Amino acid sequence: MSNNKFKVLIVEDEANICSFIETLLTTNDYQALVAHTCTMGLTLFASHNPDLVILDLGLPDRDGLELIRTVRQKYMTPIIVLSARTDEMDKIEALDLGANDYITKPFGTGELLARVRAALRLNRYGAPLGGAAPNGEFCAQGLRINYDRRKVFVEGEEVKLTQTEYNIVAFLSQHAGRVMTYAAIVKAIWGDTDIGSTKKLQVNMANIRKKLGSRPGSNSYILNELGVGYRMLDEDSGPRSEGLE
Amino acid sequence: MKKKMLLHDALVMAGALCGAYAMVLLTQVVMGRIDGVAMLIFMLAVFITSMYTEGYFWGAAASVISVLAVNFAFLSPYFAFNFTLSENLFSGLVMLVVSIMTSTLTTRIKRQEQLRMESEKEKMRANLLRAVSHDLRTPLTSIYGACSTVIENYDSLDKTKTIKLLGEACSDAQWLNRMVENLLSVTRIDSEKVTVQKTPTVLDELVDAVVVKFKKRYPAVPVQLDLPDAFIVIPMDSMLIQQVLMNLLENAALHAKGMTKLVLKVFTVDDRAVFEVTDDGCGIPKERLKNLFSGTGGTDPDAPADSRKHGMGIGLSVCAAIIKAHGGEIRAESRPGEGTTIRFWLKTEEIELEDAEDEQ
Repeated sequence: MSNNKFKVLIVEDEANICSFIETLLTTNDYQALVAHTCTMGLTLFASHNPDLVILDLGLPDRDGLELIRTVRQKYMTPIIVLSARTDEMDKIEALDLGANDYITKPFGTGELLARVRAALRLNRYGAPLGGAAPNGEFCAQGLRINYDRRKVFVEGEEVKLTQTEYNIVAFLSQHAGRVMTYAAIVKAIWGDTDIGSTKKLQVNMANIRKKLGSRPGSNSYILNELGVGYRMLDEDSGPRSEGLE
Repeated sequence: MKKKMLLHDALVMAGALCGAYAMVLLTQVVMGRIDGVAMLIFMLAVFITSMYTEGYFWGAAASVISVLAVNFAFLSPYFAFNFTLSENLFSGLVMLVVSIMTSTLTTRIKRQEQLRMESEKEKMRANLLRAVSHDLRTPLTSIYGACSTVIENYDSLDKTKTIKLLGEACSDAQWLNRMVENLLSVTRIDSEKVTVQKTPTVLDELVDAVVVKFKKRYPAVPVQLDLPDAFIVIPMDSMLIQQVLMNLLENAALHAKGMTKLVLKVFTVDDRAVFEVTDDGCGIPKERLKNLFSGTGGTDPDAPADSRKHGMGIGLSVCAAIIKAHGGEIRAESRPGEGTTIRFWLKTEEIELEDAEDEQ
């Protein structure tokens, strides 16, 4: 194909939802591919190598989680999961399997587009996962992280963090824009997961939030995904308010 | 569950019999003679056992044991069994009959009680369903109408009219979604046992999530926060408690006319976290305050026929159900013209802050 539009693969069995997502994406200059089953999704994925996958977990033939597993064996293509409110555990499992983001049904078009843009931006500039220690700087709104000197600044002012707190912030910033589950963060910071570890993380997070000057409801660099995990603001992107319901 | 019942019943029986035995001994010490009294007191024990246990078994067992015990210890010849005396045999039979009749009676009463509760629940469910279907139909009518109007008159409608119609459909769909969220919450806690899956949730994170969501829906309504500085963890189903806070804030935003200030305050009293949502709007009249949380506001003939008002009633009854399932309490205070405060509490969790300040 001669155009250089982003290719987005939609895997969803509800024809009406497919149709509106497809319309939305094509009118916003993406190229949309549609699959109604998991098998068809995998076939289209193999033949078209899309830049992004939007995946519904409840598919008629096979579990959507299987598609994530299969794709992640070879590819780092970003995956956005569409989830119904009721299957919370599926959501967490999907993220732990390597999905980049999730969006809860029903969602607004603005919110979906914002997530699509963020996911694609990550793919272009984002550091590969499991790469070497990060170097250089990270900037998102007033927050600046200097990886070489292990220092964090808010609006130019240095913020004193403990080792653990710095590690958490740095880890989240490396995956900025992505929801990291509690389990994934704990594993990366402490190496193991035991029963009290989520609480340990939450306590550290409370201190980080305080030190970064965030109050509930405003001025957050680290966004809460209650019951799931945390997400660092995307580099140089606007605040999440662009996603409207 | 079954085992617990068994243990409970066995304990009741043992307790009743031991009590009876002690009382007989006592009367023996006080009055010297016991002949007739012993039988009566054990009869009482049998009665109590059949009353507070499940089925016939325990009552019958208690009566057999009583007959044996009385025969053995309190009837001549003392400390030996003697069933040849016809009066002993006869009194044993009487006790058995009493126990069986009592068990039958109590079992029947219990069953009737259960049936009555079930039918009441069924009635409540039917009422809720009726109110909900009515509530759902109104926005659906408007969505259906708006969409079909646009499709059928696409060429004759000008752009502003089309956008207006579609905008209305959009906001009605959002309202529908909130309604369904509430219903989903109800189904999540409706399963008989009235327990919820609690996970420890950080207060600040909960409030943050709610306020961010609220800001998205009502960018024009600022919420003042008043939170404790301490790190507070509350075991809860965070999805449901978010729903409660969202409902309360939303009610204020939609119904408190003349509101200038909306405050979400949280403070702790002992091991309770108290949440307060306060507005300074028009308040709620006293008559409505009484059954604000029962969800029956919709059937009140004086209530305005506006569907959104019904929705509010359901939202609050959902709040009450959620808080109850968490073992907390919810209350409303309101003065017409001055504003409304809705307050609920949840139990907090003890936490140790050992790992917080490590490796500085």
